[in-house]
Amino acid sequence: MSRGTLLYAAQRLVLISLTAVVVSSIVFIGIHQLPGNALASERRNNPATEQALLHHYNLDLPWPQQYLLWVEGLSRGDLGESLVNMGVQITPLLLREAKVSVTLGLAAVLITIGVGLTLGTIAAIRQNTWVDYVASTSAVIGYSVPSFVWAFLLILLTVSGFYAWTGGLVYEDIGWGKIEQIPVPALALGLPYAAIVARLTRASMLEVIRQDYVRTAWAKGLAARVVILRHALRNALIPVVSILGPLITGIITGSVVIEFLFGIPGLGQEFVTSILSRDYNIVIGVFTFYAVLVGLANLIVDLIYPVLDPRIRY
Amino acid sequence: MTRIALFRSLAVALGAISLVAACGGGSTASENLAADQTLRFAIIDQPTSLDPAHVDAAVDITFLAEVFTGLYKFDNNLKIVPDGAQAMPDISSDGKTWTFKLRKDMQFSNGDKITAKDWIWSWTRTLRLNDAYASNLYAISGGQDVADGKATSISGLSAPDDYTLVAKLDAPAGYWLTQLAMPTASEVLDQKVIQAAGEEHWTEKPETYIGSGPFKVSAYSAKESIEFVPVKNWWGGDTGKLTKVHVDFHVDVASQVKKFESGGYDLVGMANSPAGPDDVLRYKNDPTKSKILTIYPGARATAVGFNFVTGPFAAKPGAKPGDPTNGAANTNDPGLDGRRAFSMAIDRNQLADIACAHAITCQPATGGPIVKGFKGYLGDNGDPYAKFDAQAAKALYQKWDPTGSKVKNLEYRYNTSPANDKRAQNLQAQWKQNLGVDVKLVPSDFPTLQRDRKKKIVIIGRESWGIDYDHPQDWFDNLFSCAQAPIGRGNDQAYCNPDMDAITNAANAKAVDQAVPDYVKAMKLLVNDVVWMTIDYGTQPYFVQTYVRGAGYNGLYDYNWLGFKLLQH
Repeated sequence: MSRGTLLYAAQRLVLISLTAVVVSSIVFIGIHQLPGNALASERRNNPATEQALLHHYNLDLPWPQQYLLWVEGLSRGDLGESLVNMGVQITPLLLREAKVSVTLGLAAVLITIGVGLTLGTIAAIRQNTWVDYVASTSAVIGYSVPSFVWAFLLILLTVSGFYAWTGGLVYEDIGWGKIEQIPVPALALGLPYAAIVARLTRASMLEVIRQDYVRTAWAKGLAARVVILRHALRNALIPVVSILGPLITGIITGSVVIEFLFGIPGLGQEFVTSILSRDYNIVIGVFTFYAVLVGLANLIVDLIYPVLDPRIRY
Repeated sequence: MTRIALFRSLAVALGAISLVAACGGGSTASENLAADQTLRFAIIDQPTSLDPAHVDAAVDITFLAEVFTGLYKFDNNLKIVPDGAQAMPDISSDGKTWTFKLRKDMQFSNGDKITAKDWIWSWTRTLRLNDAYASNLYAISGGQDVADGKATSISGLSAPDDYTLVAKLDAPAGYWLTQLAMPTASEVLDQKVIQAAGEEHWTEKPETYIGSGPFKVSAYSAKESIEFVPVKNWWGGDTGKLTKVHVDFHVDVASQVKKFESGGYDLVGMANSPAGPDDVLRYKNDPTKSKILTIYPGARATAVGFNFVTGPFAAKPGAKPGDPTNGAANTNDPGLDGRRAFSMAIDRNQLADIACAHAITCQPATGGPIVKGFKGYLGDNGDPYAKFDAQAAKALYQKWDPTGSKVKNLEYRYNTSPANDKRAQNLQAQWKQNLGVDVKLVPSDFPTLQRDRKKKIVIIGRESWGIDYDHPQDWFDNLFSCAQAPIGRGNDQAYCNPDMDAITNAANAKAVDQAVPDYVKAMKLLVNDVVWMTIDYGTQPYFVQTYVRGAGYNGLYDYNWLGFKLLQH
């Protein structure tokens, strides 16, 4: 990696940190303006009880003071304690859940890129044949159907359907913890984006395979695999890489619903449950993590450009 | 037919019979135990706290009841039986001194012996932390002082020897035995472990999460899952057949049912996580699936509460919350006819049918606020103003508000959920149809509604109470007493009837069986004043695999795990 690229990466990392602080501060301030509090409970009828709990969480302090305490904690990597599930420390919780979400997200990205590139390349090479039409139609269907609909369809198919057809021998086990529980939710998450990548790859490949240097490669008698993968696809990838950033952001945000439906204990599910239960501390923590994840994902994408095109330098 | 053809026909027939036998029908469990005795299920949330002193929700109790021990407990039939105590308490003739003889063989799961000082430390800690169920120990003299931070020890609690506990009460409290049996704040804890691990961290790891119950935590991943295993050589004896209990957290109910149907979970419904009404209805209407569905009565009542100090339904408009509003202190109740009319205008059967999936997830309420099947229930149709009578309601309403000015811009407040939305819409429709009154629906989230209810500014709004234990004191002292009427306390309607309080205070001193008639008398005053317009009682549906034995629900708590077993399947 060149010195310029390293410097660029360092600058971006600083920006990501600042972004995370700004995002979480906005969320912190906004959430503390909401009426009511997360400690409201049917059973807590004693004002002294509620006061004791508010004190435990520093919620009895003026919110600017709470903010300063929180920033001090954030500087130490301590995002505090859950308001709803007392005793649950947020930083280790979110780190664990981020690992789950990143695993799922990476699997979805692999499916997106793998399926998308394959479909798009085949469609381009077999342009205007039935192969092209099938691939293109599949792509249209793929991105027309939202990921949560794919999720429902896949659950029906792989859980209820497979179970019924195979007498319980083969079926998808909803949840997380086994490697075989990754592909189906990753498929639900990645399919709509795979379709987008397929369309973009097809268009980009069609442009590249008409270039003179590709014709030269064919004329030289190189194997089709070499011409397509080494010469054509590499240049066709640049537009695809440029959408990877928003695509990964889309996968991260789309994981909210997928994780909830598949019972996956990741950041997405935490995001939903913490908002619904008004667990302020976790909401702020999740936003902070998401800001960092999106920033890092976009940085990684930007660092791929020089690899694909050595002319690009930072 | 030739011999070969005959044999061929027989072979085919035998093969067909075998195939049908192999493929036919759902599995029928044999009565032999399965090799894997791991019980698996999921819950929608996760316990709000694993610390008995901080327990706040029904979901917590299912697990705490297995890991910790109190002096007494409820058996599966809600009968109070000794647990940590050798026998029922010895109560002095004035009802103020309770002596408990403790079991001498009790120990924590780490082997530490339990003596009277452990109970004293645990109860003192509970009061010091003063969370939702610390009130279960307020009856002890000096307990409130510890809760208020005025004392560091409970003056009324002592241990004359290692296995005797003596509690002196400020006043006789017949309900206290019931409170002690509730698996929450009065359970014994290991002081040594908690102090070493830290007050706020001892529940985080299985090694420090120590109790004295038949099960202990073997694995815990916050917001993901928890696992329990039986305690070896448990002082209480046999820990049953289960070798592990695995619980997944935060699993959507529809996904739970899907996984149940594919055999991944053994039951759905435990720890206050019932299946959704659509799935329950589907099971009910299916001849095979209906056999694994059981709908238990639940311990929750839902009602519409009327404000007694502000608004058109007030009994004493402008009164300060906490001042008497009813009884001999105030016989003029200008809001009474309005409350009665609004109550009689609602057909609860229709509401349960529409809002509760054809009365699956709730049942119409006709016997007062206390749920059917629990002490203090007035009996079916025991609430005279729960009887639907549109004509009488209309006549009464028109007499009370001939110009419609009293209910102009009336808003019904409630916390949003799919079930509450349906209830609210049906209430609105029936008030419109039967009284000609337009009521605006104002949904909000629970904390906002709770905040406004405690400020006593909700004129008419959703109320609900989940029973903590089977004793009417749980209702009166938390929801309807004058002591709870001031701002910030639990009597959201600010209803204050000193006559009713006198009855319930006297009842509180008696043993529960002697006290019930008094509570019923007090409840009749309450329903006569229409403090709550109770609309339905909850239900608790369970899906249980055919090979699971021992699972169930007694209306308040899940059956304990000691009786569970999984058969071969």
